Amino acid sequence: MDPRALPRSAYRFLTIFVVLAAVLFAAELTQPVQRALVLPWTEALARAAVALITLLDPYAVASGRVIESTRNGFAVSIEAGCNGVEAALILAAAIAAFRAPWPKKAIGIVAGLVAVQALNLVRVISLFYLGQWSLAAFEWAHLYLWQALIMLDVLVVWLLWLRWIDGGAASHARA
Amino acid sequence: MRAHSEVVRFALRAIAWLAPAFAVWYAVAAWEARPAAWLAAGATGLVDKSVVNAIEWEGRIVRFVTAIEVQDAAGQAGLMLIEVNPQLYTYGTALVAALMLASRAGWRKLVLGIALLIPFQAWGIAFDALAQIVRAGPQAAAQAGIGGWRVEAVAFGYQAGSLIFPAAAPVLVWAAAQRQFVERLVQAQSRRDTPG
Repeated sequence: MDPRALPRSAYRFLTIFVVLAAVLFAAELTQPVQRALVLPWTEALARAAVALITLLDPYAVASGRVIESTRNGFAVSIEAGCNGVEAALILAAAIAAFRAPWPKKAIGIVAGLVAVQALNLVRVISLFYLGQWSLAAFEWAHLYLWQALIMLDVLVVWLLWLRWIDGGAASHARA
Repeated sequence: MRAHSEVVRFALRAIAWLAPAFAVWYAVAAWEARPAAWLAAGATGLVDKSVVNAIEWEGRIVRFVTAIEVQDAAGQAGLMLIEVNPQLYTYGTALVAALMLASRAGWRKLVLGIALLIPFQAWGIAFDALAQIVRAGPQAAAQAGIGGWRVEAVAFGYQAGSLIFPAAAPVLVWAAAQRQFVERLVQAQSRRDTPG
C-alpha cells in the first residue's frame, strides 16, 4: 500500500468532520441560536475583556458587543469571526470526529474551548489598543494575522488532545 | 508538559515562520490572488449564465464587471461593478506556508499546499461577489438568477467562505499533506519507545 495514500480512517475522520462542522455552522447562523447563544456570548466576551483591561487601564467600558475607550472615544465591536465561536465549532467538530471515548472527547472540547477563548480575549484586547495606535496595523492584525493565530491555536489544542488520548491508549496497552 | 513539548516546539516554529510568510504573501498578494479571482469569476456563472463579463484590477482590489443592469439615483443606467478584497480570502497562503515550513515539508508540498487552497479562496471571492448582488436588491439578484432558496444558499456560502474556509482550509490541507508528521507528533513517547 502506498504510504502516502490516506488510510480509510482518515477519510472517515474527514467525512465526519466536514459534516459536523457544516451542521454546527449552519445551526450557529440561525436566528434562534444567534439570539440565545451567540449574542449573549459575544456580550459576555466584551465584558470579560473590559474586566481585564480595567485592571490596568480604567478608561474602557463595554456596551453590548462594543468596547469603547472613554479617553479617546475609540471603539471596537466584536462581530462574527472575532467572538471565537467559529474556531470553537471547528475544534469541537475535529475532536468529535476522531475515534475516541466520549468522556475524553468531552474533556477535550471543554478544555479546548477554554484555550480558544483565552487566546480570543488576548486578540480582542490587543486589537482594542492596536486600533488606538494605528488603524492600518489594526486592520492588518484584525483581518489576517489574528485569524491565522486563532486557527493555529485550534490546531495546537487538537494535536495536544490527540497526544493525550494516544498516551492513554499506550498506557492501556502496557497494563 | 514534557510529553507535549514536541507539539509546543512545532507551534513555536509555526509562529516564527508566520511573520516572514505573511511578509512574502502580502508583497505578492495582488498577483497571488489572480488564479482564485479568475476561478471565482467563472464560478459565479454557475448560478446563471455569465454574471461576470470582465475582471479588472485596481491595486489589490479585484473588480468584477457584471452583466447586471442597475440605475443610479439620477436614473442613469449602467452595469453593476462589484469590488472584492481578495486578501480577505487568500491570507491562508501564509498560514499553510508557515505550517509546511515548521513541519519541514519539501518545496513540492509547499507549492502543492498553496495550490490546493485556490478553490477555497475562489469560493470566498465568488460568494462575496454574489452576496453583494443579493444586497443590491431583488432586481439585481433576479438578473443573476438568485432567487428563492438560492438567496439563503448565497448567504450560507458567503459566511462559510469568509468565516471558515480562509483559516481552516490551510490547516486541513497541511494536515492531509503532512499526515505522517502529524502522526509522529501525536504519538505518545511511551508508544515510540516500545519496540515493534
